[in-house]
Amino acid sequence: MPPKIITREPATDEATMRERSTRIVAGLLDLDITHAVGVADNMSRFIFDELNEDPSVSVVPVCREGEAWAIASGLWVGGKRPVVLIQNTGFLEAGDALRGTAVDMGVPLPALIGYRGYRSLSTPTPDSVASLFEPTLRAWGLPYHFLQENKEGETLRAAFMEAQSLGQPVAVLMT
Amino acid sequence: MMTRDECFAVLHELRRHDVVVITTMSAAAPWARLSDSSLNFASVSSAMAHAADFAMGIALARPERQVWVLNGDGSLLMSLGTLVTICQTPPPNLVHFVLENNTYEVTGNQLIPGAGKAAMVQFAHGAGFPQVHEFQCAETMSRELPAILERAGPAFVNLRMAPGREPAPSLDRPLSDCAREFRQALEKQGS
Repeated sequence: MPPKIITREPATDEATMRERSTRIVAGLLDLDITHAVGVADNMSRFIFDELNEDPSVSVVPVCREGEAWAIASGLWVGGKRPVVLIQNTGFLEAGDALRGTAVDMGVPLPALIGYRGYRSLSTPTPDSVASLFEPTLRAWGLPYHFLQENKEGETLRAAFMEAQSLGQPVAVLMT
Repeated sequence: MMTRDECFAVLHELRRHDVVVITTMSAAAPWARLSDSSLNFASVSSAMAHAADFAMGIALARPERQVWVLNGDGSLLMSLGTLVTICQTPPPNLVHFVLENNTYEVTGNQLIPGAGKAAMVQFAHGAGFPQVHEFQCAETMSRELPAILERAGPAFVNLRMAPGREPAPSLDRPLSDCAREFRQALEKQGS
């Protein structure tokens, strides 16, 4: 018998995601972000929607997450203040691009990364991405912060300041 | 079919002093032998396939200057989607050159997948580049490229050439130092 296809995980309700996205976008605007580079997922789609409406930020959609690190690095070298928005699955795919551009070039780059599978971390699941995500962040030497409810702006600022002081990318995880 | 030296001689002749040039793989050292401009950046010791998107970022950040990327055909194939990404947010100041020699030259000229079959210009057409051109003769290139460089891009220029014997390139200092110096050069010359 073929496997039954089920919904991956219960989605947070849309109104909550929209409110949170508004706070995240406010936090990004407060940091004078000029470009948002990445691939939308279920968690970040409302962030992309809001950024697309804001004339002070240019949204640069990419086909594959590795491109996001390279484009953001080029933007920074050119004097801009980009942020990367991707999901943890794409993060795993993009390892060499991250290493060979933003990390080795010393780019102080905040990256918002959707934590797919976070809520099922302690339960049996056929989706392995969550269990590999944080160990990979640590193995690749990428500092990270969890985005806290109603403290989105503070978390983003802390990550941005850390990226500036270390001269390297810092991740902010969206659960 | 032209050699890389013949091709680069034409590019070097046509390059204005304020043009940014991003090189990678087998283009890096030969271009550095021709030009020591602070607006050159060798995407070496970095991530293969990511010179073009890195150049795209610079082109978006610095719309006042033309940005050339001298990409390889093997590198392009590793991230074909980048052609679509470029056309989705098209920087009119970006010129994407591809050095098509059908081999991974720096590892000993192994044939790339699709060598002699895949058509680079068709990829560019399909992605939506407003300008797509191809040259295999330095003389024709010298005659026609100046007008192409005057038009709004992004432009895709495929340069068919014979394989060379360039060894794998490396940098004499950390990539972070090169990036910082390059950033300062862009700031200085942009002000």
